Amino acid sequence: MKSEDTTSQAVEEQEDMSDPTDDDMLIQTDVSDSVSAGSSTVTDTVVEAKDINVWYDDDQALHDISLAIPERQVTAMIGPSGCGKSTFLRCINRMNDLIDAARVDGELYLGDKNVYDADVDPVALRRRVGMVFQKPNPFPKSIRENVLYGLKVQGIDADYDKVVEESLRKAALWDEVKDRLDESGLELSGGQQQRLCIARAIAPDPEVILMDEPASALDPIATSQIEDLIADLAEQYTVVIVTHNMQQAARISDKTAVFLTGGELVEFDDTQKIFENPESERVEDYITGKFG
Amino acid sequence: MAADSPSTVRDGFGTVSRTAGVVFRYALLAATLLGILAVGILFVYVANDAIQPFTADPGWHLTFFLTLVVPTLAVGYSLSGRGEGSLRVGLESLGLLAVMPLFAGGVAVLFLSILPALVVFSFAVALAIPLAAIVALQRTRQVGFVAKLVAAAVVTVASLLFVPNFIQNVPVIPVEWLLVALTIGAPTAAIAGAYAAASWNDRRVGRIAALAALGGVLVGGLVGSLTGVGGIAATVLATVAGVPVGLYVATVVDQHPTRREGLLLPLVVLGGMLLGAFLVRTVGFAGPASWLDWAFVTSDNSFSAESAGIYPALAGSIMLMLIVSLASFPIGIGAAVYLEEYAGNSRLTRLIEVNIANLAGVPSVVYGLLGLGLLARMLEDGLPVFPAVVADPLGLEPIRVGGDLFGIGTVFVGGLTLSLLILPIVIISSQEAIRSVPPSQRQASYGMGATRWQTVKNVVLPKAFPGILTGTILALGRAIGETAPLLVIGAPNEFGIPQELSSRVGAMPLQIYAWATTSGTEEFYTKVIPAGVVVLLVAMLAMNSVAIVLRNRYRQRN
Repeated sequence: MKSEDTTSQAVEEQEDMSDPTDDDMLIQTDVSDSVSAGSSTVTDTVVEAKDINVWYDDDQALHDISLAIPERQVTAMIGPSGCGKSTFLRCINRMNDLIDAARVDGELYLGDKNVYDADVDPVALRRRVGMVFQKPNPFPKSIRENVLYGLKVQGIDADYDKVVEESLRKAALWDEVKDRLDESGLELSGGQQQRLCIARAIAPDPEVILMDEPASALDPIATSQIEDLIADLAEQYTVVIVTHNMQQAARISDKTAVFLTGGELVEFDDTQKIFENPESERVEDYITGKFG
Repeated sequence: MAADSPSTVRDGFGTVSRTAGVVFRYALLAATLLGILAVGILFVYVANDAIQPFTADPGWHLTFFLTLVVPTLAVGYSLSGRGEGSLRVGLESLGLLAVMPLFAGGVAVLFLSILPALVVFSFAVALAIPLAAIVALQRTRQVGFVAKLVAAAVVTVASLLFVPNFIQNVPVIPVEWLLVALTIGAPTAAIAGAYAAASWNDRRVGRIAALAALGGVLVGGLVGSLTGVGGIAATVLATVAGVPVGLYVATVVDQHPTRREGLLLPLVVLGGMLLGAFLVRTVGFAGPASWLDWAFVTSDNSFSAESAGIYPALAGSIMLMLIVSLASFPIGIGAAVYLEEYAGNSRLTRLIEVNIANLAGVPSVVYGLLGLGLLARMLEDGLPVFPAVVADPLGLEPIRVGGDLFGIGTVFVGGLTLSLLILPIVIISSQEAIRSVPPSQRQASYGMGATRWQTVKNVVLPKAFPGILTGTILALGRAIGETAPLLVIGAPNEFGIPQELSSRVGAMPLQIYAWATTSGTEEFYTKVIPAGVVVLLVAMLAMNSVAIVLRNRYRQRN
């Protein structure tokens, strides 16, 4: 998002980027390098939530969530099960609209536009926001058709072969599948399927990529591949990732939002600060494993 | 603490009584077997009357035992020992060889007795033109949706209005079997090509397969018309049976080399049958005096048991199935898609769903009354396009169309009544198939910015299609056996082959009922009726077998 919005909270959120906790991940250095290189100036806010409340029938799942997600960085949402972090993620591309019982109140800006304005078409919104789900869910179509699905439903005319190759390269899958693009996406392994889903999400060139626990159904090797990939993607895209794995959040994210039970956003800050010196005692308890 | 107290395990652990459990288990087994046993007895009883196997020479039985049964069992046993799925290949190819010719027979009946080849061909062309136009329109991007819709509608109407007439009046007409080959052979070849291209992952293979299929159909028709088989029959057989069997064999040979041996099984069965028939004829053993023979299936009905045949009833049933599938398939799937994908969880939806479930249980005779009251009587003069209520005050003539289609006991009314009867079943089974599409697939599609229509078209329907087809075929299997609704709408006791939609309805169960009530002599009861029942059951089981195969394949993939 090339937002001209300079009045946002981005300025106050902006802090010096340094290497977060783990340094055994090789890719980690790349990210922070690139991020700090790219963020020598002020980082723009891409997504800004203002007092988001969500109800499922009469149960309130989110309470007054306000936060600003910076451009071209990885923002992680962590918290125990049922804390509303996935619900918040689905607010961003209005996937909650698909649930009959869900009701959303508040304002959520993507760029300068409130996505909950009456004139916003949720389908058009989702074409600007890519999404990767918890369980790999490729379509029972060929690898090629999977990658091109977004372009085809959105009616985007492009050099399809080029898009397929570029997307699969960005998703670090090209070398493994370049000779079998016509095979079914379901024949890939779990980790490959998830990378295919990532390639599918980035093929239409979205502004934000949402990831809902993208590695939780994968083995450790596939998980680390996905984590490397997320770090690479942050050079070009704004990535918002939900995870219940705190180490993962610490390894890959620049900003971390901690949701705690009851659907409250307890703390949102630089990842390093959250993990080393959190303001809130509840967050410290959660991070050190005293509860959750 | 375990160290402190002495262990009580000195003489083993003792036993726990399972008497009640064992009794319960075998009671359940008995309950299970009772059903199978009843069906088995029914089949044996009816088949014995129809085929009369004990009238044959013992030598006849012995010959076929040695040439057919023993080699088949031997090959089957060795295949099952080999593993690698070769026995499954054998059974599948045998099943294909047994069932596909039956369908070919059904389609051949359509072309030989009901639908003139030229008329079908002209309508096929008239439908192919708009189809091609729609495909071409979909590719263009400059035109808007409404313009495309209007263009497609105009092409469809114009094509249906003018093309059939034009083709039917062309002075030079090729031979009939060539028309049949083009009508059904060309689309079959296209499907075979698409299937081959998908399973080999190679478009060139697909093109070769399509050409081979079309060539095979043409050669089959030519050979058939030169020999005594008849061009149309041979063309249909090559299309409906030859192409799928050929495709199956090619797939096995090329893609599963380890299972190739399985193809021995159908060869042994075919060879054994031919060898047995040859030996029996040379030695002179008499076969069984079977009532169910070629003449029974292909001759007209008669008042004398000797010459009574089931052909008109068979043709009537095929005609009915055609109408029922054309009417219930689109409406049933449409309703299911709406209820599952579009309608929310409102009170009205729930009311509709409960009602559909109830309709599925309404006795068939009640549907017959509906057909009689609504379709046969109220619409006797045709559909009121411009009803009298509106026309009379204006001083105009009311307009009704299709007056000859509706009325007492026509095939059209019979087909629509049976469609209404199975519609709830089709809707419910389609709903279940749609519901079994994983929600994650829909989420993926919506998450990519697809609209509901795109999601239904690209993700839900393709995945649910095999399940929908299975349910629909099973429902058709119910419709083919229904007698009561046809009797209520005024089906006659004697009927000929239905040549048009306005002909009097006839069907196999109706024929069996007529034999049982009006010609109830001993001969009819012990020979003709069992033979008719076997034909009816074979037709029903052939249809169901397709559904079962589809369901199994579908389950494997999930």
